[in-house]
Amino acid sequence: MAKIELQHVNYIYGEGTPFEVRALDDVSLCVREGTVTGIIGHTGSGKSTMVQLLNGLSRPSAGTVLLDGEDIWSRPKDMRSIRFRVGLVMQYPEYQLFEETVRADIAYGPKNMGLSAQEIEERVLEAAAFAGLDPALLDESPFDLSGGQKRRAAIAGIMAMRPEVLVLDEPAAGLDPRGRDAILRGMREYREKSGATVIIVSHSMEDMARFCDDIIVMAHSRVVMQGSCKEVFSRSDELAAVGLDIPEISSVCSRLRAQGIEVGEGIFTVEEAIRSLTDLFAEKEKSKG
Amino acid sequence: MAEPMIKTENLWYSYNDQEPGRGEMQPVLRGVDLTIERGEYVAILGHNGSGKSTFAKLLNLILEPTSGKIYIDGRDITAEAMTEQDVFDLRRKVGMVFQNPDNQLVATVVEEDVAFGPENLGIPAEEIRTRVDMALDMVGMREYARHEPHRLSGGQKQRVAIAGIIAMMPECMIFDESTAMLDPLGRREVVDTIEMLHREKGITVLTITHHMNEAARADRIVVIDDGRVLMDGTPEQVFSQPDVLLAAGLDVPQSAALVHGLRKQGIDLPGCVGSVEECIATIVRAYTSV
Repeated sequence: MAKIELQHVNYIYGEGTPFEVRALDDVSLCVREGTVTGIIGHTGSGKSTMVQLLNGLSRPSAGTVLLDGEDIWSRPKDMRSIRFRVGLVMQYPEYQLFEETVRADIAYGPKNMGLSAQEIEERVLEAAAFAGLDPALLDESPFDLSGGQKRRAAIAGIMAMRPEVLVLDEPAAGLDPRGRDAILRGMREYREKSGATVIIVSHSMEDMARFCDDIIVMAHSRVVMQGSCKEVFSRSDELAAVGLDIPEISSVCSRLRAQGIEVGEGIFTVEEAIRSLTDLFAEKEKSKG
Repeated sequence: MAEPMIKTENLWYSYNDQEPGRGEMQPVLRGVDLTIERGEYVAILGHNGSGKSTFAKLLNLILEPTSGKIYIDGRDITAEAMTEQDVFDLRRKVGMVFQNPDNQLVATVVEEDVAFGPENLGIPAEEIRTRVDMALDMVGMREYARHEPHRLSGGQKQRVAIAGIIAMMPECMIFDESTAMLDPLGRREVVDTIEMLHREKGITVLTITHHMNEAARADRIVVIDDGRVLMDGTPEQVFSQPDVLLAAGLDVPQSAALVHGLRKQGIDLPGCVGSVEECIATIVRAYTSV
């Protein structure tokens, strides 16, 4: 079942001016309910423009954005409720922290939803846990946190609204491997516990392969591929043609195949590669003995 | 024997000195001793907050050390006698490229941006022209000389920023997470440019990164953890110790993780893991000899 659908969406910046730019060109896509869906594409391919349509932050120049089958612009006065249902974490969200304490910053969204003080407190603690934020930090000023902690606080602020769709635009950019994994695991845990749909934009093919069910590939303002991780990452030539890579492990496997080691096709995580190769070594050992 | 390009002795740094009133803060650097020879290509790894960026900023005195010594090309840059002109000379010699391309470009035309550095050095106009063309050629951006920098892609902007440093003829270049904000294509453009500067121009390169596969391309990897040097060796030596890296909040490239994972399954895999090629060769060799 489609949680979010875009039908023939166009988005034009500066329409009617000499600086007109078509950022989205007849984009149609479908995000299945309860999945983690990754959006990949080079800079300027239209990814960020696209995600800003999902909660009505921008209005398409043409075409329809459907949430649970309903056009989000059919009742523009209800846009506020759409924003609570679709939570958008923008790039470098740590620059958007503004409250005096981390607790107050995370509580800002739930407060605007008109929830009781007790409910707000519960949600703040829950969201901090999802985002991997130490509760001891809740009474600190957000400006005294490290970069990675600020990022988590900002993500917690969106999770605290318990959105049905959580959209993250490059949530791990600039973080070290440990910080990156903490955020991506928290995102997956939020999905598992809440049943929400997650959409994530990233430049790391390795991360996408590890955490996503489906992948949508954008290039030159269009959607050029969509499907499961396996389907998308098996089309390495087409990905290369639009300036993208496959995960390092997938290219290692295809190079091993070229050298006569029959590793399974469509491998895109290290764990799968280890399993496949362990079996091959065992078989060879057996056939020899 | 030539002096090392960079030599630090018992280098300490604490942000306390810079921002009084923020309470007692742990020192960020706690006695770093490191020597980098002329012409080396070194990657510096460390988790967020490990002190690696602070270390880089000390090397051309964007920050001043709390204690300890830094020698650049044999000259003690922490000495009292350093004049403003000396600092100026130092920054020409040791150029730095930062993370955000949008924060580094100052002019409205690419070639003017590249000329900004040499102009400030008081170099004659003709010479500036030659240097700007040379620098843009080197990073493959000559055809964009008359373009507006803000309309370029992230990778192109970073290459213009690199050209701006090259035009000052540095002997050493430091890249402080210069690829962190770029897409895969942009990252490849910048890493290829860095490698070219090292191999063809003999420039000493220090690159700070969170991408293990970028670090694998350097000749030497230094891991900084908790303000100290935790590991220092070839990619092979460093990526052979995945547990130490993991404990420091880092990782090994996927190809090395594959070899280590297979070893854990009890498969005998003698050989190197320092690069993708070595990992493949290690697996193929073991498989053929079963």
